[in-house]
Amino acid sequence: MAELHTTINGEAVAADVDPAMTLAEFLREKLYLTGTKIGCGRGECGACTIIMNGKSVVSCLIPVMRAEGAVLQTIEGVANGRKLHPIQEEFINKGAIQCGFCTPGMIMSSKALLDANPDPTREEIREALGGNVCRCTGYVNIEQAVNAAAERMRKGEK
Amino acid sequence: MKYVGQNMPRNDGFDKATGRGTFTADIHLPRMLYGKVLRSPYAHAKVLSIDTSAAEALPGVKAVCTFNNTTNKLWNGAAPMFITPKPHDPVLDQTIFTDEPKYIGDEVAAVAAESEAVAEAAVRLIRVEWQELPAVYDPLEAIKPEAPDVQPKCANPQFKNICGGPVELRFGGDPREAFKSCDAVVEYRVKLPRVKQAQLETHGAVASYSPEGKLEVICTTQAPYPTKMILADALDLPVSKITVKNGPYVGGGFGARIGLSGKAEILAAVLSMKSGRPVKLTYTREEDFTCSDSRHGGYLVTRLGAMKDGKFVALDTEAWMNTGAYATFGVDLLGVCGACGTAGAYEVPNFHYVGWPVYTNQMTAGAMRGFGTPQGNAVVEPAIEMMAQKLGIDSLELRKMNATTPESKNWFPFPPGSCGMNECLDKAANAIDWAEKHGQAARQTGRIRRGVGISGGTHVSNAAPFCVDYNTVLLRIERDGTLFVNSSIPEIGPGSTTACLQVAADLTGVPYQNAVMKFGDTDAASFDIGSHATRTLYTVSHVLAKAAEILRRDVFAWVGAKLDLDPAALDMSDGVITSGGKEVGSIAEVASAAHLQGKQFIATACNVPPNCLPFYAQAAEVEVDMETGMVKVLKVAAAHDVGRVVNPLLCEGQIEGGVLQGVGYATREEMTYVEGKGFYNKGFHSYMLPTADDRPDIVPILVENPDPSGVFGIIGIGELGVNPTLAAIGNAVEDATGVRFHEFPLTPGRVLDGLKAAGKV
Repeated sequence: MAELHTTINGEAVAADVDPAMTLAEFLREKLYLTGTKIGCGRGECGACTIIMNGKSVVSCLIPVMRAEGAVLQTIEGVANGRKLHPIQEEFINKGAIQCGFCTPGMIMSSKALLDANPDPTREEIREALGGNVCRCTGYVNIEQAVNAAAERMRKGEK
Repeated sequence: MKYVGQNMPRNDGFDKATGRGTFTADIHLPRMLYGKVLRSPYAHAKVLSIDTSAAEALPGVKAVCTFNNTTNKLWNGAAPMFITPKPHDPVLDQTIFTDEPKYIGDEVAAVAAESEAVAEAAVRLIRVEWQELPAVYDPLEAIKPEAPDVQPKCANPQFKNICGGPVELRFGGDPREAFKSCDAVVEYRVKLPRVKQAQLETHGAVASYSPEGKLEVICTTQAPYPTKMILADALDLPVSKITVKNGPYVGGGFGARIGLSGKAEILAAVLSMKSGRPVKLTYTREEDFTCSDSRHGGYLVTRLGAMKDGKFVALDTEAWMNTGAYATFGVDLLGVCGACGTAGAYEVPNFHYVGWPVYTNQMTAGAMRGFGTPQGNAVVEPAIEMMAQKLGIDSLELRKMNATTPESKNWFPFPPGSCGMNECLDKAANAIDWAEKHGQAARQTGRIRRGVGISGGTHVSNAAPFCVDYNTVLLRIERDGTLFVNSSIPEIGPGSTTACLQVAADLTGVPYQNAVMKFGDTDAASFDIGSHATRTLYTVSHVLAKAAEILRRDVFAWVGAKLDLDPAALDMSDGVITSGGKEVGSIAEVASAAHLQGKQFIATACNVPPNCLPFYAQAAEVEVDMETGMVKVLKVAAAHDVGRVVNPLLCEGQIEGGVLQGVGYATREEMTYVEGKGFYNKGFHSYMLPTADDRPDIVPILVENPDPSGVFGIIGIGELGVNPTLAAIGNAVEDATGVRFHEFPLTPGRVLDGLKAAGKV
């Protein structure tokens, strides 16, 4: 076992962990932050995407100790109580959610994109979401949701 | 109607957007163990001996199950086990474990342990002595007399390796006779791939067995009630003592789990029975891809005969589909392939179809979105295109002149419904500029060629009257006048439970705001087959209509008695109760007053739905690179007659998702079998799903012709988006290149080979 110190959704977390764990397993099985999904466990579907030090990463491929000293954001840290983030609201409004299993990863990839690039082109959106698989929507409404959220975020909404 | 037709936000949107919503994969119970499965490395083998002692001795291992210590009772892991109507019998050919595995991945043993890692280590400690046996993989090979028998005890003894079938459909005269008097006859053959549902949440279950005989299973099924019945029968438990429910959310279905999810539920159940503790079994993505039902692939051939004026005279189709090692939906699917895929869309006076579900030593094929219709569509629609060319008639016009009308007679035992296919054909064609773009192959030179193609079609709106299909529902009005709907239908993603609530609010006259639908739980409500067959919205609306009428009568009788009004003169809309048009109170006031006098308004109903044919047409525009063979789908216009749209946003989302699955089916997705190794596609990187990066422009077009059989005219949409897409794209590629392809998907190598063989490059 090893001691891990990290910041998750603004809270300092200290935990004894098995260093063989992935970050996704740590989040889901030790902290019960089950919003981060595992669709393949091999970094191929993006369902486990979180934001680590400002960048989107697939947490199923990251050894847990890589999170030492890192600042992490998971889907659970995006809304403020009942108040949803514009990306979450637009995912609902634009029909970007169906089964919902890819949704947390999609939202985290979208957030990492829009935090860094408030006015992305269609190609930049497609590239940012290129590692996130959705089998339900055909991606049409997901792209529209990201566009709509970007517009609101440019006006200062958070 | 106040709510039907509106884009009400999804009832699960907040849960899913915040990560609060739980799926089976997220369930964690006290003292829960983890399961892992020992699977056969051989396509066909006999287990000569099995030694589990080292696995059992590993610290942390709590149960090891094999064919030696579990029942070998036969069952069928899919819904047909309990929805096959007499005089037919379901094919029962599966056991929990087997000592004679029939495909690479077949279940031989399973372990429950304190962690997944320990369970996996224990599986590796099980010693098996195998004797490899002869195997067969292709349906056309498997029907030859010399082929090895895959299911000697369960196959139809009259034929070789035929699973329960063949399924033969006839209507009108014999096509083989009728062809003789036709002006033109065309024949088209096609080989279609097996493709995978690839839903984002892999199969999984958490089973908790109590030694007094109760079993609770939280799982990914899209058919909770049939799953409960299958578990009860296979495990010899009373149906009443089994609960099956979803997480409550299910990460997609697309047909992969109309019944058991792979075998997750029953494997977790026996491990829990053996260990006395809850057991969670989550399939890896590799297990999901290689050890659970896929779409049926195989071979189809059709002959279409017509007169000079274009009128269709006869259609005769034969299909040989790879059902794999076990039946599941094999028989039913071959029926739908013929009925919906070849019989419904056009008026053909002489019709015949025969479908052969063929056992092979591959992973089982079962239901996937469209359920045989995409396969039937993929053989008939190119034949129509060929006929149009032969007769010199525009193929759009040829389709329209032969389209099913409300007066048409065909194989189906119910009226076809609102028959909006011609409107769909026109709208889809216009959306891709058919008139200007179609038939331009001869004028194109150079590396990049463009073409357009179209395909029409139909399906069903549920499984009645061919299979047992009914719904039950319980409506209640809470003390504050809010509506609560109990149903055991699951929510697998389409938003069906949101749309059903919109219908329920309009049918009852109780406000949509704060209305709740409890779903995906056999303890919440009585029987419902589940979410499949494009049935949820169409059939649940019917049972809601029946229950709403009872509920309203209950309210009006009580209000009438209290206020001395004629119940027959009372009405309720959006929570306002009126008598002869004059407001007499709100449902909130009435429910509250009734509660204080010991009365709650409740209504239950059980209903067999009618059925109707949902029509559609899709048009595709493609670009073909003559040097690389790359097919790029630029645009798909998808026009669907939805009767009356309940929630446009959700409805369009169903079409868009279905179309992209169809684009994958036509151009890239394929399960590739490697003899001795099994399927090559063990994850997303080796299975070419379309991604956000390469999707075409998808244009959903909602056509509304209220269906005479539908509540408010509603027709379902669930599966339909995928059904005609492959054929539309195949026709577009032919329009671009002048080459008709006979094997899908249209990958660059396959296209280039075809272009070379045709002398085009």
